[in-house]
Amino acid sequence: MSESARDAQAARLAELLSQSALRNQRAFSELYAVTAPKLFGVALRILRRQDWAEEVLQECYMSIWNHAGDYAITKSAPLTWMTSIVRNRCLDWLRRPQQEATGDEYEIAIDAWRDESPGPIEQLAAAGDAAALARCLEMLDGRQRQSIMLAFFHGMSHSEVANHMKEPLGTVKTWVRRGLERLKGCLQQAESP
Amino acid sequence: MKYDDPRLRDKLAAEYVLGTLRGQARARFQSLMRYDGALRSVVKDWESRLTPLARAGTDIAPPERVWQALSERLTGEPHRLRWWESLALWRGLTATCAAFALVLAIVTGVSREAEPPMAMIAVMNDTQGRPAMTVSWPSMQAARDRPFLRVRVIQEHPVMAPGTAWELWMLPGGESNPVSLGLITTDVDQVMELKPELAARIEGAWGIAMTVEPKGGSPTGQPTGPMVMQGPCVKL
Repeated sequence: MSESARDAQAARLAELLSQSALRNQRAFSELYAVTAPKLFGVALRILRRQDWAEEVLQECYMSIWNHAGDYAITKSAPLTWMTSIVRNRCLDWLRRPQQEATGDEYEIAIDAWRDESPGPIEQLAAAGDAAALARCLEMLDGRQRQSIMLAFFHGMSHSEVANHMKEPLGTVKTWVRRGLERLKGCLQQAESP
Repeated sequence: MKYDDPRLRDKLAAEYVLGTLRGQARARFQSLMRYDGALRSVVKDWESRLTPLARAGTDIAPPERVWQALSERLTGEPHRLRWWESLALWRGLTATCAAFALVLAIVTGVSREAEPPMAMIAVMNDTQGRPAMTVSWPSMQAARDRPFLRVRVIQEHPVMAPGTAWELWMLPGGESNPVSLGLITTDVDQVMELKPELAARIEGAWGIAMTVEPKGGSPTGQPTGPMVMQGPCVKL
């Protein structure tokens, strides 16, 4: 997607949100049609269960409908705002003790984040506005990158990442922390002219 | 933990957004955020940094039934009420709270000499529903020379974040919007003087609420920040 097409899409989403705040159901249904596949993917990868992901998605869109009026004051990109709502709801869901996520069927997808396969990062680089993020991720140590990706995409806790990577918990925590610090430093450099 | 250390705040915000802040730590962080606008903006910065990562995942269309369920709810659910409107549901419940409030008043309302007895109390619950603070006042007739409210903390206060203020609101009868009573401090026991025009209205109030506002109080005269405590007014 070119930069201007992305800006146009963001502007359209912002418009649909402000229409939704005015209880315009048609605008909301268009908003759903455009964004639900993205957000369902986000929820499914974190929760790893179809029924939970459907339930959370439904709750999130109700929340978006009810709080669409608050969007304007956040000054975030519309998709970032909506994605954060979904991610937070999923992570809160996982906090329920009985909802320990399992599911081996996602192991294959998780393997895609191994350091030797930069596929998804290339995909990110192609997304244009996320190019800086992709570049900065590539500069990270492979282990740092993998642990951050596992946590972000699959909602893994530190200990789940440690189990998955067969590494000590403390080591994984350090990778995550240092990886985030370096990522921030790199992105700040990319921002400054 | 010292939550005012900027490095720690940044690290916690990053791990909150990444999703590795879990369990109690996540819940504690969320309640800190409610009080701390600066912390919310650190979180927002991390969301802008990390959330675009979600683009790297493949899209997966949800089944049609999700939209069907949603559209049924959209047509069925009434317009969302603002928090003070939805609190109006209490008005029917106040009678059942009276006994509890009375017990509490005996514990907290040790009257000072030369202070008229308290006539009304609002036991304010935090967002988890735990009693956190009481606001009580005497009959305004008895205290007409110096109308006041007494504010007592019954649960350890969270820290007031820099650049913020805690504002008390009276919820008047009818459909009226909240009316500011003023800013309070972090003292566990404080007296707030009431302007005569507020004294005249407070006896008709059905609830008291507290919001976190920018330093100096709400710029609009209406609550702008998150509501962190609320409770119905009960006669003693």
